[in-house]
Amino acid sequence: MESATNSATNNEPEVSLSQPHDAVGSKTRPDSSDPLWWIPVQWFRSLTIEHRILSGFGLVFVGILIISAISYRNASTVVANSGRDTKSHEIVQLLTDIDIAMDEAENNHRRYLITGDGLYLTGYRSVVKQKPIFIKYLKDLTVESVEQWERVRSLNRMMDRQLNAEAEAIKILDVDGFEAVKKMALEGAAKDELSEIHRIVAEMESHERQALRRRVMESATVTTNTIILLGTGALLQLVLLGSVYYLIRHDITARRRVAEELQRRGELLEAANKELESFSYSVSHDLRAPLRHIDGYASLLRKAVGESLSEKAGRYLETISASATQMGQLIDDLLVFSRMGRQEMLQTTVDVNQLIKSILNDLRLDLQGRDISWTIEDLPEVVGDSAMLRQVFINLIANAVKFTSTRPKAEIAIGADRRITEEVVIFVRDNGVGFNMEYVSKLFGVFQRLHRIDEFEGTGIGLANVRRIVHRHGGRTWAEGAIDQGATFYVALPTRRIGS
Amino acid sequence: MISAKPILLAEDNPRDAELALAAMEEQNISDKVIVCHDGAEVLDYLYYRGSFQSRSKGNPVVIFLDLKMPKVNGLEVLQTIKGDTNLRSIPVVMLTSSREERDLQESYALGANAYVVKPVEFHQFVSAVKELGAFWGVINEPPPEISRSDK
Repeated sequence: MESATNSATNNEPEVSLSQPHDAVGSKTRPDSSDPLWWIPVQWFRSLTIEHRILSGFGLVFVGILIISAISYRNASTVVANSGRDTKSHEIVQLLTDIDIAMDEAENNHRRYLITGDGLYLTGYRSVVKQKPIFIKYLKDLTVESVEQWERVRSLNRMMDRQLNAEAEAIKILDVDGFEAVKKMALEGAAKDELSEIHRIVAEMESHERQALRRRVMESATVTTNTIILLGTGALLQLVLLGSVYYLIRHDITARRRVAEELQRRGELLEAANKELESFSYSVSHDLRAPLRHIDGYASLLRKAVGESLSEKAGRYLETISASATQMGQLIDDLLVFSRMGRQEMLQTTVDVNQLIKSILNDLRLDLQGRDISWTIEDLPEVVGDSAMLRQVFINLIANAVKFTSTRPKAEIAIGADRRITEEVVIFVRDNGVGFNMEYVSKLFGVFQRLHRIDEFEGTGIGLANVRRIVHRHGGRTWAEGAIDQGATFYVALPTRRIGS
Repeated sequence: MISAKPILLAEDNPRDAELALAAMEEQNISDKVIVCHDGAEVLDYLYYRGSFQSRSKGNPVVIFLDLKMPKVNGLEVLQTIKGDTNLRSIPVVMLTSSREERDLQESYALGANAYVVKPVEFHQFVSAVKELGAFWGVINEPPPEISRSDK
């Protein structure tokens, strides 16, 4: 859970260096007074740069999908229309054929009635034979339109009536002779039916032509719409892609600016640090000379005055010397501290077990007469400068020894916490006088002391050195304690080599 | 037997010089000490120049050399001495306030024979100077002098 929030914040390149995207989360909820369009803008502003780019590309993708779908539908309409057009043309052709055939049937029938020529009868009969094929074909073509279908049925009826009437007339001719059909031969046996057929055919033709016209117009409109859609769509995609490009570019520029700013600050910091170091170096050196003189001349004075020196005057001279010596110690400590910051680090694998063992061996003489129970766990290997790390543990152990000196039985424990793989935490715990957690922040400062000089000796540089060395190793230091209940000092060191 | 040859003390700070002399007095060698107040004076002495034009012949038995001095600093003096075949054999002891690794390295690289950090505490300073004076001025056998006329 924690890692998720971490990665989210890590994605932001801005290191709070007066940068634009700082509105993140600050105004994500729209006020009631904001117009409606403001909501997506607010939402967009609340996103990280990665999400913005992603949503930009998402929009482009969705846009392409929509355009493709609409274009496909429009193209289908045009294709379908062109299919129907072909059918309409076929219907019109067929209707013309039917019209002509029915005229022919009537004409051939009349000629037969008048002439009795069998040739005309054959012509008539061929139309009779054709008729069901015409109707079937026509029905197939008009199956989609109810109106036309109805007309086909009327047409079929009328054609049947015409052909039946004509067949009737031919039969009468065969039985009763020409006189019986003379009127029909002159006027036509199915004059009304034929004109009705002409009417229906004309109606159907006009219907198809209208449909054709309508479809042509529809296709034209759809095609125009498609062109407009594609045009505006492409433009929109272009704008969107442009925005995404701008966002990425902007982000890259911002990152580069931040990087440059960081580098510049790093260089400034380094220069300032160097200056400070050389300053403290020369100050420390120039301060040592007068101190040497103070102590030297005090000693010479004591010698010159000799026996006649009063006890009081002797004490004064001693205090002068002691003060000078103490200040010399402070300066020496400051020099060491300054050196810890400048000295080049040699990174090797350091066995902390061995280190502690050798430190305790070196402290052997100082530990004489003390009753200390040591609890030392198995300690890990760390990567770092072994001389510097030795300084760290000397300081921590010497502190533990010093601040337990008032205890009849001192208990000092050294252990490690390896729960996190990136670093090892080594602690030094004692049952000494402890400290007030209120002052924990001062503990690692230069020349910071939480006890009076007559309680515990020391200049107060030890923990400052510890912190400086550990920081240079890319680690952390902290402490826990309570008055009269001991203290625990923690040193977290990375297990991996740090970059230069 | 105490050698008659002088001890050269290069010290720009008169108080430091006085304290050093006071320390050497206890060893009874202070009358052999010649104090130079900067690097240029040391070189004048060694090359019989300026106020040392008419001094008696011979190299000092040891040179106690401060690092930080006006005109010509200790390291420059050291470089000149160790670069001269006639002077190279004179033992040079750096006597300085600096405990800096860089100063130590440079001094030894240039051929310093010893490096002593002046203690702040006078008693320690006295004992250091006394021991240095006793060792280099009394115990240590100086190199045989190469006669200038041989050259």
